[in-house]
Amino acid sequence: MIVCAAVIGQQNNPLYLQTLQQEGGDKSLRFHYMVHCSLDAVEERLAHPPKSLGEPSDAYLGLLYPTEDFKIYGYVSNTRVKFILVVDEMVPKDEEMRLIFRRFHTAFVDAVSNPFYTVNTPIISRGFDASVQTIMTTV
Amino acid sequence: MDNINAEIFTLTYGSMVRQLLTDLEDVTEVNKQLDKMGYNIGIRLIDEFLAKSKTGKCIDFRDTADKIAKVGFKMFLNTTAAVTNWSADGTECSLILEDNPLTDFVELPDAYNGLIYCNVLCGIIRGALEMVNINASCNFVKDVLRGDDVSEMRLKLLSQKSEVYPYTEDD
Repeated sequence: MIVCAAVIGQQNNPLYLQTLQQEGGDKSLRFHYMVHCSLDAVEERLAHPPKSLGEPSDAYLGLLYPTEDFKIYGYVSNTRVKFILVVDEMVPKDEEMRLIFRRFHTAFVDAVSNPFYTVNTPIISRGFDASVQTIMTTV
Repeated sequence: MDNINAEIFTLTYGSMVRQLLTDLEDVTEVNKQLDKMGYNIGIRLIDEFLAKSKTGKCIDFRDTADKIAKVGFKMFLNTTAAVTNWSADGTECSLILEDNPLTDFVELPDAYNGLIYCNVLCGIIRGALEMVNINASCNFVKDVLRGDDVSEMRLKLLSQKSEVYPYTEDD
């Protein structure tokens, strides 16, 4: 199950973070930290793209790194916007993950197309909240 | 008829409204400006509509409203509107937009709550009708962007000039 979804901008500035409400209060700070850490892994992947894995311009980065309780997956668009998903023990297959990221990306594109949104600022949008929520829960 | 990509159209309109908000800094002024722009579009658009839609003369105002909703909206926005809520004397009705391409992607921030995002449509209808000697008023009463369930425009016939030709010199 996906417990946290985040969007990071070109300059590694956080654009969006949503966590699934769990018992035990707000854990968003902890996820902020995890997502922040994963950016190093993203950069490393971008600097040394694996040659055997699919086409060279594959946006899906796969598993970035595992922590004790979670696994962190990444996806980078051509405009260097990073999408990070934190998954707990039940891990979906790579193909499913790819699909989820693609839907996440599409939702992001729609949110950015809102004329009242200023590019490269945090996304505050009820519509985007809702679509990310559905993506996270319909796995 | 030539088409353009719906998303380009939507985004262009969006950035135009956004620019108006930056320039005029006041939501009421923007609403007025949108209406004015729509009016200017409408008085030109009617000729294109008449030339290309191949529709005949309207019998009465009901017919006019129907043609706006079913032919006009189809032609220029690729959507249709439902015409309902006629007043008893047949001079007032509601156009309900089922699907409005102008509002795709748009989410109105709370700061612009008074903005009538699609006010340009009202101006267009008003302008177009004026060119065919119908004096009408048109305004939004419900708007999905402001939390209503549908987008509803109220169209009201104010007066109708009869067509007299040739005009006398006093006109």
